[in-house]
Amino acid sequence: MNDGEEWVAQARAGDHGAFRRIVEVQARPLFAVCMRITRDAALAEDAVQEAFLKAWRHLGDFDGRSALRTWLHRIAVNAALEQLRRRGRDGAAVDTGDDTDGFLDAIEGDIPDPHRHVLGDEVRRRTEEQLARMSATERTAFVMRHHHGQSLEDIADVLAINTNACKQAIFRAVRKLRVALHPLRPSA
Amino acid sequence: MRPIDDDELVLHHWRDGLEAGRMAEIDAALAASPALRARLATLQRTLALADTLPEPIAPADFERRIWQGLQARIGAPQRRVPVTSWLQGLRSALVPVSPRWAGAMAGLVLCVIAVSFFAGRHSVAPDADPAPNHAMASRVLDRYVAAHLRATEGLLMTAVNGNDVAIAGDRELASALVDSNRLYAQAATRAGNVRLATFLRQLEPVLIELANPAGSDAVQSIEGLRDYVRRTDLLFEVRATEARIEPAGKHSL
Repeated sequence: MNDGEEWVAQARAGDHGAFRRIVEVQARPLFAVCMRITRDAALAEDAVQEAFLKAWRHLGDFDGRSALRTWLHRIAVNAALEQLRRRGRDGAAVDTGDDTDGFLDAIEGDIPDPHRHVLGDEVRRRTEEQLARMSATERTAFVMRHHHGQSLEDIADVLAINTNACKQAIFRAVRKLRVALHPLRPSA
Repeated sequence: MRPIDDDELVLHHWRDGLEAGRMAEIDAALAASPALRARLATLQRTLALADTLPEPIAPADFERRIWQGLQARIGAPQRRVPVTSWLQGLRSALVPVSPRWAGAMAGLVLCVIAVSFFAGRHSVAPDADPAPNHAMASRVLDRYVAAHLRATEGLLMTAVNGNDVAIAGDRELASALVDSNRLYAQAATRAGNVRLATFLRQLEPVLIELANPAGSDAVQSIEGLRDYVRRTDLLFEVRATEARIEPAGKHSL
């Protein structure tokens, strides 16, 4: 039995100290995923708080088939979405006007490499802008696939949508992100 | 071969969501086509944009803040309640918290007194088996909780299916159910029924939301709540819990 499993077993028996150790180890990674989804530190903190509360109440349901971290991650993703819903910030998808089939065709003047380009700050600003234009589902699906390496099937399961809808959400997210690579125009 | 569209390139990049045969076709096409490789490169640059953003970092005292907030909400550490003292615990848990509920709770207190009396008679002999007392009080609790869950079920059905006027009309009931829900959760905890206590605590935020819909965001808030109730199968959970405890509640005292 590793530390995580032992702490879960003790926490299930009502041991607050064991649950506190789980919080101490898992809180930061959960904040990162909640922050990427909500894009708001206060909402992310509330989501982490709610996620741990729910985890505490449902420790009896944790069957150990997945890792503790995976189980908490799923709860946190839903808690983050719930925070957005409660505040009416889950946002419908915004049409980028870039839904054509060949969205990966090169556009003359595309920013060549976001890591090396001298306009790094501008690229980051535009990337933030496009992430903000994604709906909560699009952004969550993209974050889970790109940053957390989760399978489409798992993401669909967490978001309670079918795999095809999950794929479509990710396609829309990538299309929106693509807009950030478009040529920089001089500001007015 | 079927043309390769951009969405398929996205799936290919993550090696996920494509049939193995299609994956192999795209691998072969990439090896053969500079134009396709250029499209893939654009995709990779696009995805790399997301990595240019700083990693979200939690504040320095984040863990402490989270724990402080949690501690206030998960209550005092649970201890195993000795069988000999559980009736006292149940009695104190059922004491009404507000004058408005004093009348309604009086019946409960009377029942608990009756149970205490019953338990006292059976506790005279030190070797007496406390199990019958425990079963009797559990039935008292089950009976009240079953009635509480029936009322909650009606409230949730209105929340899910009713119009906003009907929901607003149920506010007072929701408010009353928040109070009684807390008492029953405490009583269940003290009686050692962790499963029931956990379920009742899970109900509390929903009841609070129904009792206090947010002012200008009321419609949105109700929509969110409906969505939550449907998504979590809360109505089903309420019915299942009610069904689980009701047969015990129907036994005579």
